[in-house]
Parts: sequence; C-alpha cells; structure tokens
Amino acid sequence: MLAEGALIAPLFVAARATTAPRMPNQPMDEARFEAFYRRMAGKIWSYIYRMTGDASAADDLLQKTFFRFLRSNPVIADEDHLRRYVYKTATNLVFDHFREAKRDRAVAIEMPQSDFRADRGELRHDMMRVFSELKPQERALLWLAHVEGSSHEEIAESLAVKTKSVKVMLFRARKRLGALLSKKGLAP
Amino acid sequence: MTAMTGCRLEPDVIRAAASGEWTSSLRRHAESCADCAAAAEVGPWMEEFARLDDREHILPDPAVLWLKAKLMQSNATMQRASLPMTRLQIGAYLAVAACWASLLTWKWSAIEAWVKSLTPSHMVMASASAQATASLTVSFFALVVVLSSATVFVAMHTILAEE
Repeated sequence: MLAEGALIAPLFVAARATTAPRMPNQPMDEARFEAFYRRMAGKIWSYIYRMTGDASAADDLLQKTFFRFLRSNPVIADEDHLRRYVYKTATNLVFDHFREAKRDRAVAIEMPQSDFRADRGELRHDMMRVFSELKPQERALLWLAHVEGSSHEEIAESLAVKTKSVKVMLFRARKRLGALLSKKGLAP
Repeated sequence: MTAMTGCRLEPDVIRAAASGEWTSSLRRHAESCADCAAAAEVGPWMEEFARLDDREHILPDPAVLWLKAKLMQSNATMQRASLPMTRLQIGAYLAVAACWASLLTWKWSAIEAWVKSLTPSHMVMASASAQATASLTVSFFALVVVLSSATVFVAMHTILAEE
C-alpha cells in the first residue's frame, strides 16, 4: 500500500481550485513543507511513474523534484503556484531523464519492461504498454489534462510551451491515444 | 470555444466522460466539438488508467528530504563562500610560480655553471668552481629563501584551508 498521503492520482482533483489552501507569504518551514509534501508527493510520484514506467527512476526524480523545490526557497503564498512549480520541475526532470537515457543509449526511451510484468495484471500491463507508446510530451499532456485536471495555461507552464499550442498538442495526443486504443482493441 | 485555452466546456466533458454522468446538452456539445469529442473518447480510459493501483510503494520521509536539502544548501553556500579564497590561492600559486620562473631564467647560466661545478671532474678544478659560485650572489640566495618560504606558506594555507 502507499504511504500516508500518497494516494494515487485522484481524478481531476475536482475540489482543487476551491480548496487549495492559502499560505502566509513567508519562507517555508519544515512543518509547512511536510504538509505540502504529504499532499503532493503521491500525485507527483504517480505522474513521474506513469511518464517513465520505472519505479526506481520515479523515486529518484521525486526526491530531485523536492530538492529543487526546497532550493528555490519557496515563499509564494498561493499553493496553486507551488503545485504548478512542482509539476513543472518534475516534468523538466523527466524530460532530462529521457534525454540522458537517449544519450547514454544504455536505457531505452521506451518504458522498461521489468515493471510491467503480466503477473501484475493483464489490464495494468496492457494499459502501461499503450501509454508507453506515446511520446513523453503526449503522456504529460494527457496526464495533466485528464488526471490532474490542469488548465491549458497550467499545462503550458509545466511543459514550457505556448498556451495556444496546448490545444493542438492535446488534440493530437488524444487522437493518437484513441488510435492506439482502437488498434489494441482497448477502446472503451 | 476560446482561441487560447480550448473549449470552455472541456473540463466538464472530461469529468462527464470519466464519471459517465452526461447531461443531454453536454453530450450534444461533445458530439459537435472536435476537442471535446477527442477528450470524451479517451476520458474513460485515462480515468481507468489513473485508478490503476501502483506497486506497493513507500515514499521518502519528508523529514529526511528536508534535512538532505538543508545539507545540500549549506554545502552549496560553503562552496560559494570559499570561492574567493580558492581564487586567491590559485593567484598565489601562479605568482609564486612566475617568480620562480623569472629567478631561474635570470640566473640560469650561473646556476648551470654551479651545478656543473658539483661534478667530480670540475671539483678538481677548484678555481672554476669558485668562479661559478661567485656569480651566484647573496641576493640570489636570499630570493631563493624568500620564494621557498612563500611556496611553503601557500601550500600550508591550502592544506589548512581544506582541513
């Protein structure tokens, strides 16, 4: 089971926009960091894991994400802003991870197979396989839009692209996923 | 639709596609809007995908992360603080090396003659040796002593600073 506060990917985070707590505008202390971490770490881990398909890489990148977050000396009062910052950092680190893997050629860009053994369930196996066939950017777009319920502006910020490009990129990613699902006979 | 952020009903369509709770107007809209149709097409699958149980996983303890981050920060601060000192040390090494090079270049012929005078064949010819030694003045030896001291001082400073 997941650790406390590490609930995986609640869909849309419907209440997110209305309940995101406002923090006093002062440097983040340990208690505040811990509270923020417990709210975010599970989601970020899931995001990274779905992007990379590698649990150990997800562990590593999660830690790096929060190290960078702390190194930035967060003082921003708005938790939504902090959330976006963490997603942006995680996305950058995942893309760096793919670039390093490509450069080393030791690790294929595709998700490693070891984590997707059939004994974890055929459905899970098939779904992970389908998702791994998308480009990293497409995975990020779909996850942020559908699972995190991020707006186009938030997605643009996380992926460092123009807001108006998100609409087209997201449409293409959805179409590609739809085509893959039809091809594999997994279309709902 | 808005040009910048896609269809304004897209979040509602995603929610409806995930939950299966469609209103008739929203369904009609999804059928006529390309973005929403695409969102509705993959929405249920993405919901199912997100709900997959991840492997048993223990996330790192936030207290440990906090401590590590603080340690890394203090290391970085220390490195930043010691940067001027490191530069100063490099400068000192370069200056000492330049002084040694100048001194050796200036007195090279005399040093060469003096070194040659130390061989057994030249030792026999005492007058030649005396001449060579005479060309190395007291000031030269004083400079050698000063430069040697400076070299030892810089080296000791580096060792102590590292400790």
